[in-house]
Amino acid sequence: MQSNAALEYDYTVAKLFTYTTIVFGLVGMLIGTLIAAQMAFPELNYLLGEYGTFSRLRPLHTNVVIYGFMLSGIWATGYYFMQRVLKVSMAESKLAMFLGKFHFVVYLVIATGMVVSLFMGITTTKEYAQMEWPLDILVVVVWVTWGLWMFTLIGIRREKALYISVWYYIATFLGVAMLYLFNNMEVPTYFASGGVGAITHSVSMYAGTNDAMVQWWWGHNAVAFVFTVPIVGMIYYFLPKESGQAVYSYKLSLLSFWGLMFVYLWAGGHHLLWSTVPDWVQTMASIFSVILILPSWGSAINMLLTMKGEWNQLTENPIIKFLILASTFYMLSTLEGPIQAVKSVNAIAHFTDWIPGHVHDGVLGWVAFMVFSGLYHMAPRIFKREIYSKSLIEAQFWIQTTAVVLYFTSMWIAGITQGMMWRAVDEYGNLMYSFIDTVTVLHPYYAIRALAGVLFMIGLVMFAYNMIMTMAASKKLTEEPQFRSPMA
Amino acid sequence: MNALVIKALAFAGVLIVATLVVIKQMNIDLSDPVNMITFIGAVAIAVLAFGVSAKYIAQMKTDTASGELAEENWDGIGEYKNELPGGWAYSFLGTMIWGMWYFTLGYPVNSFSQIGQWNEEVKAYNAKFEATNKNADAATLQQMGESIFLVQCAPCHGTTGDGLSGKAHDFVDGRISKKQVLAVIKNGSNQLGYQMGAMPPMMAQGKDAEDIAAYVAGGMKGEQPAAFAACASCHGADGKGMNGMAANIADYDENLITHVIKNGKKGAIGTMPAFHDRMTPVQIKALATYIKSLKGE
Amino acid sequence: MFHWLEKNPFFFAVGVFLVIAFAGLVTILPNFAESARPLKGLKPYTVLELAGKNVYMKDQCIACHSQLIRPFKAETDRYGQYSLSGEYAYDRPFLWGSKRTGPDLHRVGNYRTTDWHENHMWEPTSVVPGSIMPAYKHQFTNIADIATAYAEAVTVKNVFKTPYGNDIQPGVKAFEAYKPKVLAEAKKIAADMKNKDVKDAVAAGKIPEIVALIAYLNRLK
Ligand code: HEC
Ligand code: HEC
Ligand code: HEC
Ligand code: HEM
Ligand code: HEM
Ligand SMILES: [Ca+2]
Ligand SMILES: [Ca+2]
Ligand SMILES: [Cu+2]
Repeated sequence: MQSNAALEYDYTVAKLFTYTTIVFGLVGMLIGTLIAAQMAFPELNYLLGEYGTFSRLRPLHTNVVIYGFMLSGIWATGYYFMQRVLKVSMAESKLAMFLGKFHFVVYLVIATGMVVSLFMGITTTKEYAQMEWPLDILVVVVWVTWGLWMFTLIGIRREKALYISVWYYIATFLGVAMLYLFNNMEVPTYFASGGVGAITHSVSMYAGTNDAMVQWWWGHNAVAFVFTVPIVGMIYYFLPKESGQAVYSYKLSLLSFWGLMFVYLWAGGHHLLWSTVPDWVQTMASIFSVILILPSWGSAINMLLTMKGEWNQLTENPIIKFLILASTFYMLSTLEGPIQAVKSVNAIAHFTDWIPGHVHDGVLGWVAFMVFSGLYHMAPRIFKREIYSKSLIEAQFWIQTTAVVLYFTSMWIAGITQGMMWRAVDEYGNLMYSFIDTVTVLHPYYAIRALAGVLFMIGLVMFAYNMIMTMAASKKLTEEPQFRSPMA
Repeated sequence: MNALVIKALAFAGVLIVATLVVIKQMNIDLSDPVNMITFIGAVAIAVLAFGVSAKYIAQMKTDTASGELAEENWDGIGEYKNELPGGWAYSFLGTMIWGMWYFTLGYPVNSFSQIGQWNEEVKAYNAKFEATNKNADAATLQQMGESIFLVQCAPCHGTTGDGLSGKAHDFVDGRISKKQVLAVIKNGSNQLGYQMGAMPPMMAQGKDAEDIAAYVAGGMKGEQPAAFAACASCHGADGKGMNGMAANIADYDENLITHVIKNGKKGAIGTMPAFHDRMTPVQIKALATYIKSLKGE
Repeated sequence: MFHWLEKNPFFFAVGVFLVIAFAGLVTILPNFAESARPLKGLKPYTVLELAGKNVYMKDQCIACHSQLIRPFKAETDRYGQYSLSGEYAYDRPFLWGSKRTGPDLHRVGNYRTTDWHENHMWEPTSVVPGSIMPAYKHQFTNIADIATAYAEAVTVKNVFKTPYGNDIQPGVKAFEAYKPKVLAEAKKIAADMKNKDVKDAVAAGKIPEIVALIAYLNRLK
């Protein structure tokens, strides 16, 4: 066993990513709220000329929340807890410090380039892989840098065995590296045509059905290795740490991890059900999606069981509330997804609002809640100040929970209704509804979803305010809290 | 049962009932297998996700954590060596066995073809449809026509068939507008595939053309201009097209609609695409019946 | 064994990589060659159509529109023949989409026409009351990037053997020589349109985005 002398960890990079998490969160979700409102009130499409249409903004929303907010959150927490569970400080290695800072700087360059280029309409269009080739190259640089940093730290660790959270972060690194490379193979047209046209433009290496297969092998696993795997890593650190409880079962952690790794990659075909990919690929994807319920639920159940007997913590500590609700929304989205992957259900669900509904169970109820709890937990430790306001976290929790419930229930009803209306036939067997009938009927649900966006946004502003006040004006701490985060 | 679980299930129940109410309002047929499976899927999601998570959360109130701690400890986080929860382990095993069965025995590779399924679905449907509706009466055809019109034609002709202020042919305001007739007189027409073939350009000019156009657009009422004789040779004195030799310019009839749907039409207003073989004969008849009914007198 | 892996990060990483890597190969490789084969008689996109496709991508119509007709009767009744793999052989990237806020467009060329698109893209509610699709008036004045579309044709011809004619050659000169063909195609479309700015631009040898976009939409059959 190692000595227990307190280590002074270095949180410079964790802080930098904390700031970008907040900024990109605000920007990305503001755009999300705007596009939600545009679907209910189309006049809102004309606020910014050609740059303000729903279609230009939608990819901005997804990219800014995923690669701005979510990734920043993953890295802010990673640069924080990795040092702690490996028991080494970044300050101990010049290389690690350099890699961390370099990582952040290149990341900022990419993020800025991404926002500007998407606004201008420069895009390769494949979902969650919209960035054009010059940015792709920088992405590779950033990813490799991050991996080098992680393995540098692992190389000099004092804690021999890797903690569960580290497993998940290693998997994130490897999974995204492999998938991103394959899916972004593209040929820049300027160079291949002897200098004609725009320098930024490229064409995909794959065409048609093959392009779709590669894209959703990536797309689905972007969900796996960005929206899920590192977030599971986060909860395995923050829930036991904030509550002071030991993780319920090592065996359950182990089986869930390897189960998830094995099963996830086979399920990508569920984005292509009833398309022109071979029937057997579709069947296989459906089967693996259903099997995927269990390794997903395993982690969530492990976390819920960790809190056995700790009801009072749940009622008294709003960070615990976020963590517990995140687990349950994780359970919801990882049951909803597999059921939507059943071929008959997908015949209705695909292309409808039920999918964005499912998406936001995950990204709001699970990912965003985890990011909030992680940063709240970190704040007193990295800024050495008490959290500015407990009642503000409480209020944020209830407002945002209401928002998520409104979001997913409205899109659930909207999607199922629309999917069934597209299929409906009249007594003669002719289509019962014109397409526009199936659009206008959704107006109330779109309006409810827009309201949900506004509520979520209000909660987010409370979060940002609370964080900023914690950094700037809250009571100083003399000693680092062991478990429960101090808050006023 | 625990109060929290009951609340969670009540929430699931409300969501399910709300879904049911909404889709019933839209006349959705839940006996359709795909709709049915989807609905059952939705029930399963709501009940299981909320029920099971509530069960575990409720344990926080009643149960206490215990077990043997592993020797490792990371940043103060310990780990119990507890066994797997039984329900979880058996479900995992169960789904794996089910998956293997499904892929090897249940629906082995290539035993299902989505295109084959489509072929069967369409064949069965078409046989049934043609049989039941071959001799449909006018009222039935008109109703059927309306529903087809609203889905397929309304984006151009408008839901009322008025042509959206001149963007497409107006079925409500008589048979054909003066502007359209004048254009056909000037340019001729050779696209609808009538027996007579092409209509030559410049069949009439100047005031003659004006008079003819006014007369045709006015519904061929009142005194027939003498110049109309040039037209009558093909369209008949009554303008009805001589039993389908040329287009009926006095009235809508099945013949005209059939020709337009088959060939599309490019005219003075704009271009209408051909619908080729996307309509069955019964559907075209239904559309014709409906379009005839639109013409205000 | 697992505990050993947890203490040996290198082997741990290798283990994870192996577990996740092969699933992709098993799904993608077996049908790769077959899925790349074009349908008999399929023609590559013309340069104008490619420019239109790039407008479709720039303005991200894919945010609301799919291009994939699934083999259900309800779907083939609404949009026409279900989609076939071979029809997409020249689609780089594929544009199937994942959300139908608006209708599928894979065969929209069969049942909509130039003049309808002109009205609709200018003001969707003028033809479909209640439409929530944004108006794309800027496409009537923005000039399409024909050079990049041409570069794309050259690229897919040379790199992926897409069957273009010999008049598609690398270099700015070859592009200048080719341009009149694109303009001729654009003129045909503009002839069916009413917007004065568009007609003037085309007459002056420029091609507004909307013309290219409509060429592309008409091609979707
Ligand atoms: C040589 C025979 C012939 C003569 C003479 C003729 N038509 Fe026609 N007309 C046709 C045919 C055939 C069509 C269908 C053309 C097609 O296939 O596009 C037609 C089409 C039309 C149409 C378009 C119908 C529609 O609904 O689109 C109008 C209007 C019309 N004729 C009016 C006239 C008038 C007015 C005259 C006299 C000035 C005239 N026609 C003389 C043969 C003739
Ligand atoms: C994309 C737009 C569009 C669609 C869809 C469309 N139409 Fe048309 N249609 C037109 C236009 C434009 C005209 C007028 C052509 C002209 O005369 O300039 C027209 C003309 C017609 C005419 C000819 C009337 C005449 O006397 O010449 C008939 C009949 C017709 N449409 C029936 C239908 C039916 C039935 C459907 C649906 C199955 C349909 N249309 C769908 C655009 C459309
Ligand atoms: C906010 C969502 C949205 C965006 C973005 C959007 N559309 Fe649409 N689109 C719709 C809706 C809803 C409809 C159905 C109502 C209508 O016809 O306007 C539609 C209909 C259409 C149709 C008619 C298809 C048919 O079968 O009737 C075409 C063509 C079309 N859109 C093209 C485009 C193009 C091209 C773009 C991008 C430049 C685009 N749309 C962007 C929502 C959208
Ligand atoms: C067991 C786990 C899961 C399975 C089997 C699953 C399954 C599915 C299915 C079937 C779709 C719809 C495909 C379609 O018809 O278009 C989908 C979409 C999606 N899911 Fe999941 N899901 C799971 C978990 C999650 C989680 C936890 C998240 C987020 C945190 C998530 C995020 C998404 C996203 C972003 C999409 C949209 C993809 C697109 O743009 O089309 N999923 N998922
Ligand atoms: C204020 C909160 C948010 C609102 C109101 C909101 C709203 C929306 C809307 C309206 C769409 C488009 C849906 C459609 O096209 O039908 C969307 C898509 C999406 N959003 Fe959000 N969003 C929010 C937060 C987030 C967050 C925090 C994330 C991720 C961390 C996220 C990830 C996504 C993704 C991945 C999609 C694409 C889904 C798909 O293609 O199926 N959103 N969002
Ligand atoms: Ca890219
Ligand atoms: Ca999507
Ligand atoms: Cu997926």
